[in-house]
Amino acid sequence: MTERENFFSIIKRTGYERIPVMYSFCPYLQETCNDKVEALLKEIGFTPSPIAYAKSIPVKDSDTEKFRCYYDDLKEGATIDIYGVANEPGSAAAMHMTHMRHPLERMETLEELETYPFPEFVWDEEDVAAQLACNQAFKAQDRVVCGDMQCTVWETAWYMRGMEVLMMDMMSEEEMAEFVLDKVTALAVQRAEYYVKTGVDMLYFGDDVGMQRTIMMSRELYQAWIKPRLKKVVDAARAINPEVVIFYHSCGFVEPFIEDLIEVGIDVLNPVQPECMDFGEIHAKYGDRISFHGTIGTQTTMPFGTPEEVRAEVFKNLDIAGQKGGLLVSPTHMLEPEVPWENIKAYIQACRDYTKSDS
Amino acid sequence: MSILSEISENLQRGKAKIVKELVQQAIDEGIPAQDILEKGLLAGMDVVGDRFKKNEVFVPEVLVAARAMNMGTTLLKPLLAESGVEAAGKVCIGTVKGDLHDIGKNLVKMMMEGKGLEVVDLGTDVAPETYVKTAIEQNCQIICCSALLTTTMPVMGEVVKEAEKAGIRDKVKIMIGGAPVTEAFCQQIGADKYTTDAASAADAAVEFCRGMA
Repeated sequence: MTERENFFSIIKRTGYERIPVMYSFCPYLQETCNDKVEALLKEIGFTPSPIAYAKSIPVKDSDTEKFRCYYDDLKEGATIDIYGVANEPGSAAAMHMTHMRHPLERMETLEELETYPFPEFVWDEEDVAAQLACNQAFKAQDRVVCGDMQCTVWETAWYMRGMEVLMMDMMSEEEMAEFVLDKVTALAVQRAEYYVKTGVDMLYFGDDVGMQRTIMMSRELYQAWIKPRLKKVVDAARAINPEVVIFYHSCGFVEPFIEDLIEVGIDVLNPVQPECMDFGEIHAKYGDRISFHGTIGTQTTMPFGTPEEVRAEVFKNLDIAGQKGGLLVSPTHMLEPEVPWENIKAYIQACRDYTKSDS
Repeated sequence: MSILSEISENLQRGKAKIVKELVQQAIDEGIPAQDILEKGLLAGMDVVGDRFKKNEVFVPEVLVAARAMNMGTTLLKPLLAESGVEAAGKVCIGTVKGDLHDIGKNLVKMMMEGKGLEVVDLGTDVAPETYVKTAIEQNCQIICCSALLTTTMPVMGEVVKEAEKAGIRDKVKIMIGGAPVTEAFCQQIGADKYTTDAASAADAAVEFCRGMA
């Protein structure tokens, strides 16, 4: 199998030849471990992740300074994104972490929300053709092309409005919640359509709706506010390419929502945090209808386990998934500075060894 | 239904405007502020906290209930101060140095206020010395530390050490919480209490304050 065939066969649960190595590093680990990873892969004769990221939809006005007036006390060094969401730096100890600020947080009327300059996307057939060629080139290199849409509807909306305020809107100021969520959904539809038109193989959606031990909102609230909007985005993508694969990320405990996600048309659920949900149970219940990406704990095994424990966890979860696949085994989240190199090495080695008969 | 039960009921449903009107009505009827607070507002928050612990309601329901409570307490505060009613205890809370996540911390703060505790919010990225200094200067019985990251969890141990160094360890309780935090970690660093959710944290804080009164 080519890398692409192998990757899609895992997702479709039709068997596989090898386990792709997939992880992301915080800036500190990128600096200290990237070279070591490269050397290790070379040494064991293994290829890195097949994922290549496609370019996102162009923004009409990329000047984000216009949003500064929505804050009166932004810390020096804060950055602002195209939605007007600001991220302030913390102390030196916070490293790459930032503190988020929300431009719509203090608005009290629908009229105020309506005057806010939401981003506008603009593209023409020429853009699409150029990106299509670029993505075809990735495919020719046997890579899987991904459109990154993490922060799809719910998270984009609360990043702008503030989580607490948006939740309260959903409970009692319905027209304000509707306005923000509808605006953001329309933008997500455009983002998805652009990616699919440019020939991506997969879209990576993500909206955290789980907490460590429970869901972030009731299933009723989720079904009323979030699910239909997520479905709109999925449907828009599939209207252009019915085959496009859709990943969905939510941290935490999301078991009560998995049925909804399957119904909406999600193919792969990430990250199935072992600290929050038991992969064996989740797989037994839903594994014939959805595949998984993740399952190796970054709150437990990766930072605090031994290399042997990392290896055992990778093997155990691949055993649960079985010979047909259905699991892209990887650390659940970005690896942070305290994760020992030996554990990263053990993860990569375990992926390589799992399908080798001499292991 | 008595007006205090009505306040409690409406608070549970997050009806902030109605709660505010009812609290004003109760004040006008001459009901003591402390009764309105305890038998109306805090009674309602108790129910919400219990239902939250049982996963019958979730964060959005807690938020609108807490907002309704705040509308009511704003009216009661001057009256409570006038009649010398004190909070059930005083807590300082913050997310530890290096960590900028505050949604969980804010929820704990709300739940604690819903139990009648006074909460000093130190925000995020809080240095161990700041917790201890605040606890001393503002007479807090409890220090609450939050962390979302395995990277920043160890700072909670530094807060415990800082409290020892300042000689206040026997006078304050140190509570910890956050996604990666566990009971074993709590014992390892010598903190006093780990709770799994915001409502349980508020219950534990009230217990501590009662024990220390």
